[in-house]
Amino acid sequence: MQIVEKKVIIELSHITKQFDDEIVVNDLNLKIYENEFITLLGPSGCGKTTTLRMIGGFEKANSGKIIINGKIINDLPPYARPINTVFQRYALFPHLNVYENVAFGLKNRNDIYLKNFFQIDPTFEKKIYVDIIKRKIDEAVVEALKLVKLTGFEQRKITQISGGQAQRVALARAIVNRPQILLLDEPLAALDLKLRQNMQYELKEMQKKLGITFIFVTHDQEEAMTMSDRIVVMKDGIIQQMGTPKHIYNEPVNRYVANFIGESNIIPGVYLRKDLVSFMGVNFDCTGYTFGNNEPVDVVIRPEDFDVVELSEAKLIGKVTSSIFKGVHNELTLDAEGVELFVNTYENYEVGEPIGLKVDPYEIHLMKVQTDE
Amino acid sequence: MNKEFKLLAKPYIAWLFVLAILPIFVMLLLSFMFSEGLSFGESYFTFDQFALLGEDSTLTAFSNSILYASLTAIISLVLGYFVAYNVYKSKFKNKFIVLTIFILPMWSNLLLRTEALGNLMEHNNIITDLLLQMGIGISIGIKGTPLAVIIGLVFTYLPFMILPIYTALEKIDYSLEEAALDLGLTNMQKFWKVIFPLSLKGVATGSIMVFLPSMSGFAIPEILGAGNILLIGNVIEQSFRNMDYNFGALLSIFILLFIMGALYIVSKVDKEGETLL
Repeated sequence: MQIVEKKVIIELSHITKQFDDEIVVNDLNLKIYENEFITLLGPSGCGKTTTLRMIGGFEKANSGKIIINGKIINDLPPYARPINTVFQRYALFPHLNVYENVAFGLKNRNDIYLKNFFQIDPTFEKKIYVDIIKRKIDEAVVEALKLVKLTGFEQRKITQISGGQAQRVALARAIVNRPQILLLDEPLAALDLKLRQNMQYELKEMQKKLGITFIFVTHDQEEAMTMSDRIVVMKDGIIQQMGTPKHIYNEPVNRYVANFIGESNIIPGVYLRKDLVSFMGVNFDCTGYTFGNNEPVDVVIRPEDFDVVELSEAKLIGKVTSSIFKGVHNELTLDAEGVELFVNTYENYEVGEPIGLKVDPYEIHLMKVQTDE
Repeated sequence: MNKEFKLLAKPYIAWLFVLAILPIFVMLLLSFMFSEGLSFGESYFTFDQFALLGEDSTLTAFSNSILYASLTAIISLVLGYFVAYNVYKSKFKNKFIVLTIFILPMWSNLLLRTEALGNLMEHNNIITDLLLQMGIGISIGIKGTPLAVIIGLVFTYLPFMILPIYTALEKIDYSLEEAALDLGLTNMQKFWKVIFPLSLKGVATGSIMVFLPSMSGFAIPEILGAGNILLIGNVIEQSFRNMDYNFGALLSIFILLFIMGALYIVSKVDKEGETLL
């Protein structure tokens, strides 16, 4: 993969975070690369937000190192980190208007920082550079608002804008500071479906355009799929799996990931020998997995990976127990000798009708049986 | 609104009319009249008492009132903000109890409290007595000085400052503080650019709630000032005591207008009345 060649921008090394006696993040190791859109995905309480807050500097790790550009930044206060955050409920300042909110981060920096930020000749006299800074801040704010499509909203009060607009202001307020890393803590959670989908694309576009590393936190697997270069699936403070959306979807490492990422059928089976697996009393060809002969495995088959075929050609036969029309496809629930299977198909089938199923070898995914579930 | 409930409000409305609204009209009337006390028999309309408004003693009392009330408000603001902010920032489970402790003195009678305070400000009081028993002979008497009055006013009205400021602070979303830090502000900047501006409602409400009673009250300057310091409240009290109802009424109306103006400002800055508990 080409990701390997990329430069690591931030590294979390053996990060552990405890609240009282509860371990929220447990020995977490993660490398995030430049220009990457990475999503921390998991249910509430999985430690994803805490991880994000540690990166942002709002929580201190109990142990481990957070390294940005090769420097350990554990004890650096938030304002000294090259990071900005888009907060879950936006956290816009209600006493300032849209323009002032966006300008806030730059306006309150000292002259030395700003001279450096705007690359102003350090030999300029104060009189001159103060004017330049003023103009540059104004330009930056206007530019940021343009980027989030809020030109013309400068003088609006925060109470006079919609949720979607507030979201955009929060985004503009963060990116105007040109952070190297942008943290987004479930920023789309409060938006309605249509708006959320639009914002997903826009965020992705923006990330490409700006070339900033985005670290996105969500519990919504679809959101993660749409936007991310890489997804990190977390549970109980531990990374379950990380990889590209495709990789995680097609090859979940365990039952938890398989269940969390999309609908799937998980069937207990036995790995008979190389490229042969048996489940539901039938032998199937499979490919690409190595387990011990006769080792029990979990078989994962995505609903869309089943092929519906003539009964005579079928390897499995099930009776339709329900059929839900989903627009493009039908979601069938089958009863195949006591096992409930989910199958997506374009054809229509009546409830009670028996149908035959086949699976291609490369659609059969095998996982080690997990004992803790 | 339910009809029965409307009915239940009637006694209070009657009460309000008889004991508040009506007297105000009587005062208004009195301020344009000459009368022997409250006997209207030989009364006539006059503007004589308006001349008294311009007298040095009245003007001094007025400016004293404004000065003392302003000082009280400023001192209470500094102390009150400090207290409110620390309670707000503290990790106490039950902040309500902490606040109750601050309000607690308000539940005892104002005069008793002020008399007790006055006693402590005299040369010989229970504390100097105790200290003397231990062989320490200190005696500071400040009763009758401006300092005593200011201490008394601040002591009495500080809770009115703490509560609205605390309420305003409590309403500030914690994520705003994080956002400020995230955007590059230091803790000090965060306070002045985010927290303080967002608590201004409470500051305004609290200041007015301290300023008004400090300006118009008469018990505290009377007791702790030992007659040396006259505020406008004292002048009003003396006028009524000397049967000069007309001048007393006129000054009262003046103060009333002042208070109404201030309440109008409160209603403007705090539309929902949220900082007033």
